[in-house]
This record gives sequence, structure tokens and C-alpha cells, in this order.
Amino acid sequence: MAKWDYDGPILEIENLSISFFTRAGEIPAVMDFSCTVQPGEAMGLVGESGCGKSTVALGVMQDMGKNGRIVGGSIKFKGRDLCKMSQEELRQLRGSEIAMIYQEPMASLNPAMRIGAQLMEVPMIHAGATSESARKLALEVVTAVRLPDAERILRSYPHQLSGGQQQRIVIAMALMSKPSLLILDEPTTALDVTVEAGIVDLVKDLGRTYGTSLLFISHNLGLIRETCDRICVMYSGEAVETGSISDVFNKMRHPYTQGLFRSIPLPGADKNSRPLIAIPGNFPLPHERPNGCNFGPRCSYFVAGRCDAAEIHMATVDGNDRHSSRCLRFGEIDWKAVPERKAATEATIAGKVVLKVDALSKYYNVAASALFGGAGGRTVKANEGVSLEAHEAETLAIVGESGCGKSTLAKVLLGLETASEGLVMLGNNSIGNTQIENRSTRTVADIQMVFQNPFDTLNPSHSIGAQIIRVLEIFKVGKNNAERQARMLELLDLVKLPRAFATRKPRQLSGGQKQRIGIARAFAGAPKVVVADEPVSALDVSVQAAVTDLLMEIQRKHRTTMLFISHDLSLVRYIADRVMVMYLGHVVEIGTADQVFSPPYHPYTEALLSAVPIADTSVTKKHVVLEGDIPSAMNPPSGCPFQTRCQYKKQVPGNLCETELPAMRVMAAGHQIKCHLSQAVFDSMEPVIKMVSAE
Amino acid sequence: MEPLSTVAIWGETFARFVPVWIGMAVVFAISIYFKRRLSLYGRLFDSPVGMFGFGIILFWILTAILASRIAPYSAVDQVLSMKNALPGKIESEFGISYIFGGDNLGRDVFSRMVWGSQTVLAIAPFATLFAYMVGVTLGLPAGYFGGWFDTLLSFLANLVLAFPVILLFFLLVTPEIARETNVPTTLAAILFAFPLVFFTIVVYSKYHTQPDKVWLILGTGLAFGLWAYSGLAFNRDPLGVFGMDPNRLNIFVSVVFVNSPTVFRIVRGMTLDIKTRDYVAAAQTRGEGPWYVMLWEVLPNARGPLIVDFCLRVGYTTILLGTLGFFGLGVSPESADWGFTINDGRRLLLVTVYPAMAPALALMSLVLGLNLLADGLREQSMRD
Repeated sequence: MAKWDYDGPILEIENLSISFFTRAGEIPAVMDFSCTVQPGEAMGLVGESGCGKSTVALGVMQDMGKNGRIVGGSIKFKGRDLCKMSQEELRQLRGSEIAMIYQEPMASLNPAMRIGAQLMEVPMIHAGATSESARKLALEVVTAVRLPDAERILRSYPHQLSGGQQQRIVIAMALMSKPSLLILDEPTTALDVTVEAGIVDLVKDLGRTYGTSLLFISHNLGLIRETCDRICVMYSGEAVETGSISDVFNKMRHPYTQGLFRSIPLPGADKNSRPLIAIPGNFPLPHERPNGCNFGPRCSYFVAGRCDAAEIHMATVDGNDRHSSRCLRFGEIDWKAVPERKAATEATIAGKVVLKVDALSKYYNVAASALFGGAGGRTVKANEGVSLEAHEAETLAIVGESGCGKSTLAKVLLGLETASEGLVMLGNNSIGNTQIENRSTRTVADIQMVFQNPFDTLNPSHSIGAQIIRVLEIFKVGKNNAERQARMLELLDLVKLPRAFATRKPRQLSGGQKQRIGIARAFAGAPKVVVADEPVSALDVSVQAAVTDLLMEIQRKHRTTMLFISHDLSLVRYIADRVMVMYLGHVVEIGTADQVFSPPYHPYTEALLSAVPIADTSVTKKHVVLEGDIPSAMNPPSGCPFQTRCQYKKQVPGNLCETELPAMRVMAAGHQIKCHLSQAVFDSMEPVIKMVSAE
Repeated sequence: MEPLSTVAIWGETFARFVPVWIGMAVVFAISIYFKRRLSLYGRLFDSPVGMFGFGIILFWILTAILASRIAPYSAVDQVLSMKNALPGKIESEFGISYIFGGDNLGRDVFSRMVWGSQTVLAIAPFATLFAYMVGVTLGLPAGYFGGWFDTLLSFLANLVLAFPVILLFFLLVTPEIARETNVPTTLAAILFAFPLVFFTIVVYSKYHTQPDKVWLILGTGLAFGLWAYSGLAFNRDPLGVFGMDPNRLNIFVSVVFVNSPTVFRIVRGMTLDIKTRDYVAAAQTRGEGPWYVMLWEVLPNARGPLIVDFCLRVGYTTILLGTLGFFGLGVSPESADWGFTINDGRRLLLVTVYPAMAPALALMSLVLGLNLLADGLREQSMRD
């Protein structure tokens, strides 16, 4: 089947409904979904996990597994109904006219085939190209996705490339057949922010040069804003609002969209004066959807008798470009009203130094072979000369991408590893060289951790109550079982969960609820320091705000020191008092949040700030995209760790950056930067994020 | 009297198992009625395959329990006139038929098949359980700590696995070795100590925070355990409650010995996987000891695959016991072991198939039941 020309929209989805049929009966995953993608247009599909956005993509690919079925509506691709095509026709279409890019690049590439062979397969199968012309095309496309040394890449196997390079190859593969529609399902979620920024840049550019239409699926509003022209917001299987980026971002007409924007930390949010507003309640499960509006139970504009009376259809918002909303009351709601905020809280005043880390280094010896040892061992320098001080009641954020040594630092603090060099002081105790088994109960209880992955943080075999009581037993809280039982229930109150959860098993809880239990567990022994390792990064946007809020509230009440490890700079700006930026085991910048987020910057901080997608149309960003990937800690660059990717390297005379590790320079009281740049260059730096007054 | 016809033989067989049928009906009715409250066991009744497998196993368990009501003779009763009797021949004195015929000593094959279920069910599940204790106690630390301990144990496990099993059994079970040397007793002393060690660490790691409770549980548990240990391993139980016939002890110890390396490897592999989870790190960061982490954080989450493997392994052990019995290894001449009975029946194969087929079918159905049960459990434990 040859490619055919068609003047109308590339993709027209009308009233699409998709259900999965299980033993429990029919589970509707997508209901009454409509959207249109014009040629060359980028459509963003945004929503929380379980809202059906990926199912829409699978529906377009006609690949829903044996349980899934389209139960209503139509999907037209270039005017032809995909649902009426035979398997043979669909096979011709997939990969040639419609290409899809998935979240995990490693899972999309065949590990046993060279990159070149995998790429060449596409035109050879779909267009019957010869292997020479296919190879030529492959070289062209690999260069187009901005990978260096295309010849070498074609000869390598997927595992020899980094995650970012793999995702570029997946994109290259999708482009091999010059598809009319490219579906991207969370293409950058598994990647680091600076790598993500590069991929986003690439996708935008390719869309422009090849004229490909994009269907971009993401949970990240900032990313959608940077890549797409139009957006469709989904909630619980339905599209609730669709329109152009500027309409939906600035003149939203659905309460859920509004709730989403209020719960993400945009520039300007502040934990004390302008806290985030979380959407109350939980996402309904498919079989628990309410009558009428699915968002009704969580909506502050809900009117009983109207919103829950009958099914609600999409209605056009007049005056805007193809903007519609699934809300009965969007005409009545005052969208300009300033939301009622919780009373602003006093900024907490940081107390004395609780935790002091001085010139901490942690090296791992990687022997060439564990069994025969001998020479050839290498040293991985996970932390190198890390110094920090954390005060009582303060939040110190540790920022950096994967492999920067932030997790190793946490391990040393918690006693899972011991320091190779340097000192860690908790109060007056030196704990850097004490393994956790040798720490006193009090010391162990004093420094606790909240883990990242909510699905992994609780043991699935024990009940919630038993897990908290065990912590109390170990920390010798309470004299007997009755006292501990009572304390456990108080802790459940503290994290705002019903007491009935004590007897539940973790699988009966949602991700956000599990994370709350994780917080309760960390605070059970009245700790002085809590290390929170990306505590909300795996949660949905609307839940993130509530959990972050809770964490800050408990911290404020107990005057706990919090080390907040994160790669999400928007969140860090919102929550942190002070920020520490790490790169390849080194602290490259440390200061108060204001100091770090405004110039002068360390070049790496500047790149990080620029890479973070911001879901606010009134913000412009300086465009900094880093070349290449983070070097391996096994083989770090000489001199400054960042010199291989630094854009300012030219401005330092000689080869100072390559030969000498810069010293920490004090820029202002409490603000330090590890860089060779001259003061003049620092002074000339402009803010990365600028607020432009909205229209 | 005329011997019974084929139809009558099967009718009579069905009738003799009536107590078992009643028992099965009761168990199934209760289980299905309460299945929503019985977690994994209850969910088994949602799977036809699992239910069928469980039914077969239940049949043999009830047969073993009710053997004295089902079997008209004991396993060793000999009736001279019934030597090599054909199936269905009726014994003249009491008018009871040898429905599956008689063997060359005039014993009732049907009765021996029924009693044989006791032999199998007394050894296979318990030997597997002991193998699990050994495998778990060694596999957890091997996977958790790694290092030389792991290297050494994995090497030893491979060594045992690489050795031909039948040869190993010949060595261990040969009467001369059993009688002249103390290899089996030593092995028993070592292997039977594992459950005691296992129990002690399980209890201590969990309850060491409550000193009064820990000594109470450990004290009672260990007193009972050591009592059983003295009887089972050394046959020196002062009260004579626990004890094992030397032949049976040989078999038991050998089965535990060859099964434990496989269990060790499964447990070690699962530990390697589970120890990377955050809840393990959470336990470590609150200062839990390694044994608590292994037994209370890691082990419960490995239970799914272990339960499935347990069922399969009881099946393999049943086959192993049958094979050994067939060769006459480790069984006394009076034993009603199925393998032994099959070998007896083999001599009559040209005349009639019943004496060999009955115990063979019994063995096959029990193993089939265990495999189906494992399938059902696997299927149900994956669902959630």
C-alpha cells in the first residue's frame, strides 16, 4: 500500500471509546474522546497515570492486546478509518506512516542487533529499498538526530550507547520512513533533565523540518508547553479540555485544568506566602467513576443535581481557536478569581547547625574481577570533597542528575556506607565512619529517610500498622504494645490518613498514600534530620502538591532538618531554603535558594535551570542545551568535572579548566561556586528565567 | 464363587472410597463457601485447574487418613489361597474380594495401594519441608551477603547437583553403608538441626526488642524442638514419641540432601532480586539486623514462587520415592511403598495389569495433582 495524499487533517479521532474486557467485566479506559491533528501540528495529550492517554495512542496504532477493544467512535488517519483496515494494511501503515516512540528506549531496541541493521530494516521492509540506499539514509538520519560519529554509532549495539543516545536512535528509527504522524509516549521520562532538554529540542526541530505531525503524550505540562501547539487534557478516560496552548494555559475553562496548574510549583509560588493548592481527594478507579462529571467529587465548583445528573459533553468555548471544555458551568465560573489560599505561614527561622559534613569523600574500588582480584582495579569517586552544613528546621535541597553522587551522600549519612575521607557530624557525634550496626538507637532514629519509589517503600507482605509499630519497637518508643499501638494511630493522624488503614496491606493503598506512610515511618522516632530522596517524583502532579505540603507541615512542626534530594528544580525552588548543586561527586554550587536561582550561576546550574520545562506561558527562558552526556564516574574528566560539557570553557584563559580543579569561591555570604570563570563573566550573566507580564 | 466382572470391580472400588468422597465433598463445600476469606487458598477455587489438582491431592490425603476404613486388609495380611489371585477373585473365608488381585505372597494389592499412600505422604511433604528449611537458611545469607560465603555454598550446591542422584542414593541407602557407617545418622544430625536454627533466628530477630516474650517463645519452641530432634535424628527420644525406622530415616535424609541445593539456588536468586528494594533499605536504615531483613523483609516476598516450587518439589520427591522403592532401596520387605508394589506387580504383567497399574496410577495421579495445584497457585498468585 503506497502512501497516499490527503488534504485534510492527519488524524481525526471522533467519539472514541475503548474498553478492556477482563474477568471482572468491561472496564472503560477511554470514553467519548475526540481530537484532530492537522498536518505539521503538534498535539499534546496530558493527564495523570491511568487517565487513558496511552490507551488513545495504542488505539491509534490499533494495538490494544487481546483484552482491549474499540467499542465506539472512529479513528481516521488521512481520511481512512483505521478500525476498518485489515491486519495486513495496518502492518503496512505502522512504522511507515505512523511511528511510535516509547518511554524506555532500551526496550524499543533489539539488544542483539547492531544499530545500523535495525535502522536499515525500516526502509527495506516498507519501501523495498536496497541495503546501500538504506544505509545511506540511516547515516543521514543519525546525523539528523545530532549524534556524533554516525558511522561508529551504526556499528554499535544498543547497550554501548547511553540512555539519551538510545532515545535519539529510537527517534531516528521512527524518522527513517518519513512518517506523517509520530506518536511519542512519555519519551523523556526515563532521562535526566539536561538530556531531556536535548531530546525536546530535537523533536521540535524535526517536526518543523520534516513537517511531521506529533502526538505528544506526557504528564508534564511544562514539556507540553515547550513542544506542542495544541493540548488536550484528559481525566479519568475523558478529554476534559482541549485547545491551543495559550488558551488552555492562560484562559482555562475546566476546573481540573485549573487545579492542575494550581498544584504545580510555577515560578512565583512560595511555600510560605503562596503555597500550592492540591486537588483534594483521589483519582477514581475505572469502576468507581461517579455519575455525570468524573471530576465532580473533587471539584470546588460542584453543584449537586446538575453536575452529577447526566453525562456531560464537550462544549465549545466561544471566541477562542477550537477550544472546548467538558464542564457544564464554565460560563458561570469566575475564572479570574484569585483562589482562596491557606493562610500564609511564617517563614521558619533556621536554628543551630545540626548536621555538618566536612570534605567528605567516598570512593568505591571496582576490582577487575571479584574472584581473582589483583591489579586492574579502578576507583569510582562517588563523592569528592563534599562539605555542607544543615541547620535546624531548614530544608537543604541537593540537586543533580543521575550519577552525581547524591544517593551515595545519603547512604553515608545514614550509615549504609562509611566515608573514605572527611567528617560527618550529627550534633556533636562523628558518624561518618560508623556503620549503622554500630550506631546507637538514638543516632539511628535521629537521621531517617523517605524513599523515592512508593511501590517499593513498603513491604507488601506486612500490614501498614505492623510496619509502623516495628519502627517504634526498634526505636524504643513506648513502653508496651498498647502504647506503641496508640502512637502508631497518632502517626496515621499526623500524615492525614484514616486510622482504619492500620490493618490494610500496602497493595490496597494508592501511591500517594504509600508515600504518606513512608513519611510517617521516617518521623516515627522524632528524627533531627530527614533525608527525602525524590519523595514525590514518582507521584502524579495533583498528588505531589499534597504530599509535599504534608512533608513541609510536619517538618515545620517538629523543626526537623530536611535534606531534599531532587532533580526537579521547580519543586526545589518552591520547597528549599538552601540549595546545593552536585555534578559528578562534586558540589559545584551552594547557597540560599534565591542566590542559586539568580545570577551569577555556575555554568552547570545555568544549564539545569534552562533545561527544566516550565508550564507558564508568561516565562521566557535563556536557551542552553548541553552537548553530550554525563561522563562516567569511573573515568572522570581531568580538571573541572564539568569541563567536557561547559559552554563557558572558552572564556577561561589557557587550559586551566582541563588541568586544575577549581576551588570553591565565595560569591556572597553563604553563596559558593566552584568555577574558574572571572568575576567579570559572572557579573555579566543574565537570569535564565524571566517573567514577562502575561497578556 | 465367581470372580467379579470388570464393571463390578470398578463399582466396588468406587464404593470402598465412599468415606473419601464424603470427606472431599465436605472440604470443598466449606472451602468454596468461605473462599473470599481464605486469601490464596480461597482463590484456588477460582481456578478450575487448581481446584482439580487440589481435589486429587485431597483424595490421597483423605485416603491416607482413612486407610483403615477403606482397606479391607492390612498391608501385610497374607491369605495363602489368594496367591497371585486374579483381579476380582473373592476370598472364600470372609467373602471379601481382592479387587485388584493378589501378589505372590497372597496380599491384597488394593489394600497395599491404599496403605502405600500413607508411606508417600508421610515422607514426601515433610522431606521437602526439611529441604526448604535447609535451602532457605543457607540461601538467604548467600544471596544477601554474597562474597566468599556465597561462592563456597554455590560451589557445594553445584557439586551435589552434578553428582548422579541414583548413584548417590545407592550409596546412602545401601544397607551395608547404613548399618556399618554412621553416614546417615551424621547427615540426619546436621540436616535436622537446620529447622531448630531456622526457628531460633526467626523468633529472635523479630522479638529481640521484647525480652520477656522472646525467651518464652524460644524456650518452649526449643524444648519441643530438641525433644523431637533427639528422637528423629538419634532415635533416643526419652519418652519414645518421636522416632523413625532406620530405613525410613535413610530415605528421608537422602531426599532432604538432594533437594536442598535446588531450593538453595532458588532462594539465593530471589534474595538477590528482593534485596535491592526500598523496603529492605528502609529496614537497614532503621538499624535492623541482617537476619531480620532476610527472614521478615525478604523471605515473605519470595513466598509466591516458593509455594509453587514446593508443590512441584513434593511431586518430584514422590517420583523419587517410587523409583527408589521400585529398586527396593530403603524399604523394608513389608513396606507398602508404591514403587515396591509396582515392582511386585511387574512379575504378573503378562497375566494381568492390575497389580502393577493400580499403584502406578496412584503415583501418577498424586504427582499430576501436585503439578496442577502448582499451576493453579501460580496462576492465582499472579492475579491481584
